[in-house]
Amino acid sequence: MHSLKALIRYCLMWVEGWFDWAFGPKWNPTYCLGALGYFYFWIVGVSGLYLYIFMDSGIPASYLSVEYLTHDQWWLGGVMRSLHRYASDAMVIMVALHIIREFAFDRYRGSRWFSWVTGVPMLWLIIIAGITGYWLVWDMLAQYVAIASTELLDWLPIFGEPIARNFLATSHLDGRFFTLLIFLHIAVPLVLLFIMWLHLQRVGHARINPARGLAVGTFAMLLVLSFISPATSQGIADLSRVASPVELDWFYMWVYPLTDIVGPATIWIGSFVGTIVLILIPWIPPIKKKLPAVVSLDNCNGCTRCAVDCPFNAIIMAPRSDGAVFDFEAQVDPDLCTSCGICVGSCPTATPFRRASALVPGIDLQDPSLATLRDEMEKQAAKLTTPGSVMIFGCDRSLKVAKFKSASIATVSLPCTGMLPPSFIDYVISRKLAAGVVVTGCRRGECHYRLGQAWMEERLDGIRDPRLRERVPRERLARFWAAPTDGRTFARDIEQFQRTLIDLDSKATDPEQSEAAQ
Amino acid sequence: MKARALIKWRDEFSLGIAAVDHEHRELVSLVNEVLIAMDQELDSDKVLDALGEVYAKISAHFALEELHMRRESYHEYMIHKEDHERLLDEIRELMDAYEDGEYLENREVFISEITEWFVSHFSSMDAKLHDIRT
Amino acid sequence: MKMRQGIQLIAQAAIYTGFAFLLAYFSSQPPYERVPAGSALIKLSFAHGAERVGACHKRTYEELMALAPNMRAPIDCPRQRLDVKVHMKLDDQVIYQASLPPTGLHNDGASITYQRLVVPSGYHTLELGLIDTDRTKGYDYLSKRQITLTPGQALAIDFKPGGEGFVYE
Repeated sequence: MHSLKALIRYCLMWVEGWFDWAFGPKWNPTYCLGALGYFYFWIVGVSGLYLYIFMDSGIPASYLSVEYLTHDQWWLGGVMRSLHRYASDAMVIMVALHIIREFAFDRYRGSRWFSWVTGVPMLWLIIIAGITGYWLVWDMLAQYVAIASTELLDWLPIFGEPIARNFLATSHLDGRFFTLLIFLHIAVPLVLLFIMWLHLQRVGHARINPARGLAVGTFAMLLVLSFISPATSQGIADLSRVASPVELDWFYMWVYPLTDIVGPATIWIGSFVGTIVLILIPWIPPIKKKLPAVVSLDNCNGCTRCAVDCPFNAIIMAPRSDGAVFDFEAQVDPDLCTSCGICVGSCPTATPFRRASALVPGIDLQDPSLATLRDEMEKQAAKLTTPGSVMIFGCDRSLKVAKFKSASIATVSLPCTGMLPPSFIDYVISRKLAAGVVVTGCRRGECHYRLGQAWMEERLDGIRDPRLRERVPRERLARFWAAPTDGRTFARDIEQFQRTLIDLDSKATDPEQSEAAQ
Repeated sequence: MKARALIKWRDEFSLGIAAVDHEHRELVSLVNEVLIAMDQELDSDKVLDALGEVYAKISAHFALEELHMRRESYHEYMIHKEDHERLLDEIRELMDAYEDGEYLENREVFISEITEWFVSHFSSMDAKLHDIRT
Repeated sequence: MKMRQGIQLIAQAAIYTGFAFLLAYFSSQPPYERVPAGSALIKLSFAHGAERVGACHKRTYEELMALAPNMRAPIDCPRQRLDVKVHMKLDDQVIYQASLPPTGLHNDGASITYQRLVVPSGYHTLELGLIDTDRTKGYDYLSKRQITLTPGQALAIDFKPGGEGFVYE
């Protein structure tokens, strides 16, 4: 399973690299599959509202009202119908990709089980919403869906009489069944909306909307598609005829042909078992027990930077408990902490210049602690012997930097790039532990802990506190965000960077020569 | 140590905000530790240790001050924040210069620069904060 | 820079177009044929309770005394029903035959069936027989018909007691 996951990851990263090139990291759809799913949901909701206004319920009123919208009002109602259909289909694809991605990148471990588990009921709700929607039209496709659905449901021992009998013949049809369906088609998406809210409760700074360029692009795509290939019905339902062949929306109706192949028993037992397995995935071994971050009240004055930066809402500001004169202290909820260390990178007291006794910042990870990281950094730096030496700060979840160690390259790997206080970079360069510093980690948008890479960039760019001091020479700092698949490009970039460092150093040590050259 | 060289707490340093005043007092004593270490010509490690503590504490102090300013929607927040950043650059400048041995012959100069660095911010920027809580 | 942006937009447009094709195609293609072309469908479904397993009988004095005082109903009727036996013949070939047990905890509910039978279209002789009593010979209900099934036709057969019994639609 581990190697299967690694294979999926590599494939995803390779594809994402190409999408990065085409869309740019800000607009890359593969980095916001969930947000796109939500975006399509809004499109479905708004178009659905419009359809609801014009739809009649009853036989043949349903069919006729939809026909009116599709043909007589093709330029608006018909477009709404098509948007409704295609956005729903697109949503299914986004959800499927989102699940694969979050699974492959292990983003469900520890306290992140909550996001994963709340996603499972959404799968059922989306399918039910889609099925009931198609049912409402009462064309031949709806007839097929009705008969196939009720036959499938009849396998469950919950009905006295088979509900498929409702669709045996026209005389058996009951208009009230349709009222039930309309109710379901509205109620189920509302429940889905609630769970969409729940799904993000443990996600700090949640991104619900895709970047504007992406949103505009994908909406335009759906709109053009709606005009070119409008959604149509397949002839009014007629129970005296078999709905065969029927044009299925495979995104939602793959269940039915599958039932014909494997039988309803397999489908139901498979779904039930599959759902249980999905829910239990966060607890399937191997589970790495990680220690939560800890606050040192002696070093915490309640400045709130850690609470603001935490991507998982695991830190709150609580009233002071140690009698100090400050108003607040940071408090870590161990159930929500993912041990990423991004809080450590945000703490103003997390600076390696504190060489008196132990380096204990206001908030620290237990493993590795900030002091451990400084020791490791100094130990690695001591081994550097050649000019153009570089200290690489990398992260455990992305390109493994340890393999680049050499006489001129020292590496330190952190749980997340966001754990590195910018002060460490200042320290390395000013104390000349290395000629230059390279910061690397997951690619933009791919950060395993969601925001570490983004926060690090903002700290280096002086947008987010704590900022990298302005006096730190930026020509000695390089950022090469790299996925594990970018090893070769990374090595090349490092080499180039080292050459510029050697150049810098030679100009610095021999200013007369460079002046003479000018 | 010549008594007059140590930074003494002045009433005008007090802003009436308990947390900020508490940190200002702590910083005064930390800076004084630097000055004492310099004066007693202790080995440079002690001076650097003390400087490191000042740097960490003042970084945290500025963070807290900025939080208060944002919460009170202080209208001169950006200017004050820029001054904080400048001060942090300056103390780093002093730390690096000291470690590079530039003050070996000029301890007095270093002492006066540190003192000047610390006191000037108080009397100008921080004094204005007195108004935001009233 | 502009050149690069231009190429990027073209690449994006290509990706969007590909995605749109995916959506357009699989939202209706390929068509699914649940019933082979040229065939028809016969759906037999009913919910019908057979007779009780035995006749009601009057309890004797001894039987009544044997019961608790509040349970001494004079007439004892068995609740259990018989199985409903049904068969369907198409052109003298049996295509469905079953003995349907009654539903319910005490086996006193209706017997239920729902059968979908794919048959070739065209002219056929259809025979349906049902037994809902304890007879051993013959049928309580028997229905013989000549039918013509067009391709794609769905013939629904229900059952209501009385008359011919089987209801064709």
